[in-house]
Amino acid sequence: MKYHRILLMTALLLFAIRPAMAGDDSLIPGDVMNYIGFGAIVSMLLLFVIVMLVLLKTFKILTRVVLKQQGLTAAEIDAEMNPVKPKKEKKPKAAVWEKLLSLKPLTEEQELLIAHDYDGIQELDNPIPAWFMYLFYCTIIFAVGYLLNYHVFKTGQLQYAEYRTEMAQADIEKKAFLSKAANRVDENTVKLLHDPVVIASGQAIFKSTCAPCHGDHAQGNVGPNLTDDYWLHGGKINDLFKTIKYGVLSKGMPTWEKQLSPKQISDVANYIESLHGSNPAGAKAPQGTKEADTDQKLVANK
Amino acid sequence: MQPEKFYYDNKIVRNFGIATVVWGIIGMTVGLIAAIQLFQPGANMHNQYTTFGRIRPLHTNAVIFAFVGNAIFMGVYYSLQRLLKARMFSDMLSQIHFWGWQLIIVSAVITLPLGFTTSHEYAELEWPIDIAITIIWVVFGWNMFGTIFKRRERHLYVAIWFYIATFVTIAVLHIVNSFELPVSPLKSYMVYAGVQDALVQWWYGHNAVAFFLTTPYLGMMYYFLPKMANRPIYSYKLSILHFWALIFIYIWAGPHHLLYTTLPGWAQSLGVAFSIMLIAPSWGGMINGLLTLRGAWDKVRDDVILKFMVVGLTAYGMATFEGPMLSLKQVNGIAHFSDWIIAHVHVGALGWNGFLTFAILYWLIPRIYKTELFSKKMASFHFWIGTLGILFYAIPMYWAGFTQSLMLKEFTPEGMLKYPNFLETTLQILPMHMMRAAGGAMYLLGVIVMGYNLTRTALQGKLVANEAAQAMPLVPAQEVARESSWHRRLERRPIQMLIAALLVILVGTFVELMPTLTISSNIPTIAAVKPYTPLELQGRDLYIREGCSNCHSQTVRPFRSETERYGEYSKAGEFVYDHPFLWGSKRTGPDLAREGQKYGNAWHYNHLMDPRLMSPGSIMPEYDWLISQKLDTTTTRAKIHAMRILGVPYPLGYENIANRDLDKQAKQISDNLYLDKIRVKNNREIIALIAYLQRLGTDIKANK
Repeated sequence: MKYHRILLMTALLLFAIRPAMAGDDSLIPGDVMNYIGFGAIVSMLLLFVIVMLVLLKTFKILTRVVLKQQGLTAAEIDAEMNPVKPKKEKKPKAAVWEKLLSLKPLTEEQELLIAHDYDGIQELDNPIPAWFMYLFYCTIIFAVGYLLNYHVFKTGQLQYAEYRTEMAQADIEKKAFLSKAANRVDENTVKLLHDPVVIASGQAIFKSTCAPCHGDHAQGNVGPNLTDDYWLHGGKINDLFKTIKYGVLSKGMPTWEKQLSPKQISDVANYIESLHGSNPAGAKAPQGTKEADTDQKLVANK
Repeated sequence: MQPEKFYYDNKIVRNFGIATVVWGIIGMTVGLIAAIQLFQPGANMHNQYTTFGRIRPLHTNAVIFAFVGNAIFMGVYYSLQRLLKARMFSDMLSQIHFWGWQLIIVSAVITLPLGFTTSHEYAELEWPIDIAITIIWVVFGWNMFGTIFKRRERHLYVAIWFYIATFVTIAVLHIVNSFELPVSPLKSYMVYAGVQDALVQWWYGHNAVAFFLTTPYLGMMYYFLPKMANRPIYSYKLSILHFWALIFIYIWAGPHHLLYTTLPGWAQSLGVAFSIMLIAPSWGGMINGLLTLRGAWDKVRDDVILKFMVVGLTAYGMATFEGPMLSLKQVNGIAHFSDWIIAHVHVGALGWNGFLTFAILYWLIPRIYKTELFSKKMASFHFWIGTLGILFYAIPMYWAGFTQSLMLKEFTPEGMLKYPNFLETTLQILPMHMMRAAGGAMYLLGVIVMGYNLTRTALQGKLVANEAAQAMPLVPAQEVARESSWHRRLERRPIQMLIAALLVILVGTFVELMPTLTISSNIPTIAAVKPYTPLELQGRDLYIREGCSNCHSQTVRPFRSETERYGEYSKAGEFVYDHPFLWGSKRTGPDLAREGQKYGNAWHYNHLMDPRLMSPGSIMPEYDWLISQKLDTTTTRAKIHAMRILGVPYPLGYENIANRDLDKQAKQISDNLYLDKIRVKNNREIIALIAYLQRLGTDIKANK
């Protein structure tokens, strides 16, 4: 009875907690709630199993007590509790295995020996296992089906058709995503931003992607200095976006369109704008034309 | 009739045995060094002769042709004599075979690190060595058939069928894949170009696995396993079926190495279909082996030699099931070019070839030295460390393969590649590469322990150089009763057996190779594709010399993840002047098929000088010697001439003025580098290599 009480208590406790938890909805996030829920269910199940085991034990003991009261001896009780099961004729494991593999028992091996030996090596005249032949036939049917599928009925797509399907599917998904997402930005719509989050994101991209050629602080290395007033392909935010997006292949600037998302290009372009006039150490000599306009606008913005 | 007395030649078996162990240790050590370079590029000791691109071919050649090759000859020379009840045909031929083969290996050890390579995988050796291999192979065949002809056993046992198929098929494969036009004593161009060259190479490459790593080992298994276990072969009928099915089907499967390339679709599909049909014939050997052990499994518990055999056969079964699965194009799209393939081949090589070789050595050396194995404990240690080594090798490589392939294929919702920088995916799997090296080291340790154990065994015994034996002379053929079974009759006729095997392997060869090599519509030409300039051609040969194609592929497959990353997928017509093709089979680094004009010359200069300047964390070795070494332009003339003979449309007499164009283009590049403050003379090798890299894939601009 004690156990039933525990069970009851637990159930009650859970009922008591439930409204409290519901009330604290805002404090506990959904996934944590889920975990708590799973935990509760699993612990209840465990508890249930324990209770069942305990009950079973109790019944066994009770039976013993009742049987003893009826005047049975200990040995008789044992016999009653554990009746002798009629022993099943168990097939030896090896025999099952042999049947599955269509093997002949080893005892019959002598009859299968081919009367000939090579340097003492003898061969048995066992048939080829049936399952082996089925495997072989299945692979042949598969192979024929494969060729028919791709080359006779043309129901399967060969690599170039497969590629077109893949690209079309990707295009649909991409369009669907971009129509919803707010990050549709291109060289015409890009805006100069001073949001520290944007600058930080741009900086991270710059460090991993641009620094090898333009230097850690955009001072210029293989690529030009990006902090001075001189620009080869324009210093406005739209120009920067365009240069990053399409690259300038003739001068060694790669195309980043395929590697950076529009949002990322915008971030890194804004980061570069933020570096303007930072005069880093070891700056590369100016290249390109001076763009005073950009400069003034930036100063004004600051 | 009186029994005849004769002697088996054990000395030649012993010699091949020693060569097996010595080359095995060397080949695996080179492999370990190569493996370490894949996470620690400095392990090449900043030396051009030990860079990955040059020693990876050395590793594969050493373990395949030196370790496994010598093991094959050891096993064949031991078993052939006993199965035919005859001494080898000629001791002289045996000697020539042995020393000739070792000389070929030594020449490989010298030429490969020096950068003399055809770039065809597992056939890297240059033309003079190819000729030597042909001669020695003929010597081997001559010796083998000479022995067969003077045999005292009417019928040929199944092991010998496999030896015959091995001999004839390797001869065909080697000769066809070595069609090359010599340019200089150690340089040649492949006769076929692009797609055709690729097909010939992978028809060869796949069947080198089939007929060098598989059939001779099956033959050896059929002799040594029943001997070791003292049990009869399970099924003679299964032997017949799986032998013929295996050699017939195997030869077709080559194109599965070229799925999603520009190889015609029908050839790709044939490769897949036949690969699937290969499962059962391959397993026939494993089943016949494992069922031969029926009733002897209690011995496996105690006998380390049988343990090696069981693990070896199981590894064979796993690898030959995995192979057909990998050939399915959906699986291949993920697995190809990745570490998955490295795991796959090493399960076969370390498990099947390695363990069978060790078992045979442990069994055979004490017998020919009339003694017991020096230490069973050491052999047992070898078994366990070897098995662990295989696991430590294979599991991380599988993991690395899946990880990298899936990363490379992942897209963000914006439709961008999630990991646009290839290097990011490489850095992710470096810990796996370290574990792989540890696994390899464990396996190597086992082999070294075996070397010691066998040496002590040999020292405590005495070689029975000529082992006495006797057998009844052969009853003349006309007195033998006619047999009812056609195969029984064939087993008495070695020449007919040879011809039958040859015909069987030629069917697939002709059906796949002939249309691709002769029907022009299989390779659509592109007008915009022009021959390489002399400087680019020289650069291409440097690319080959440095073994760049060991890590960089040059074929963009038609997958979104590849066209987004690399550019327009490759077209067959782009490769028509590529003698040889350089598609590669593994992407340790990114594909380079469209590398041209992606980065500036200065980027390439810095990147080759020290890849970590431009790509922090890169595992590519430094190629600074390209800056100090002068380009050898004396070869330009011969190279242009050879290319024209092969059908590349250089104008007549162009070879005489080619170096003028070469200098002009080199000057342009060095002037361009000067703009970026890089001073380099225009006669340096790096200029030629940059010229070649900047040309790659630029002939067609379909993606813009």
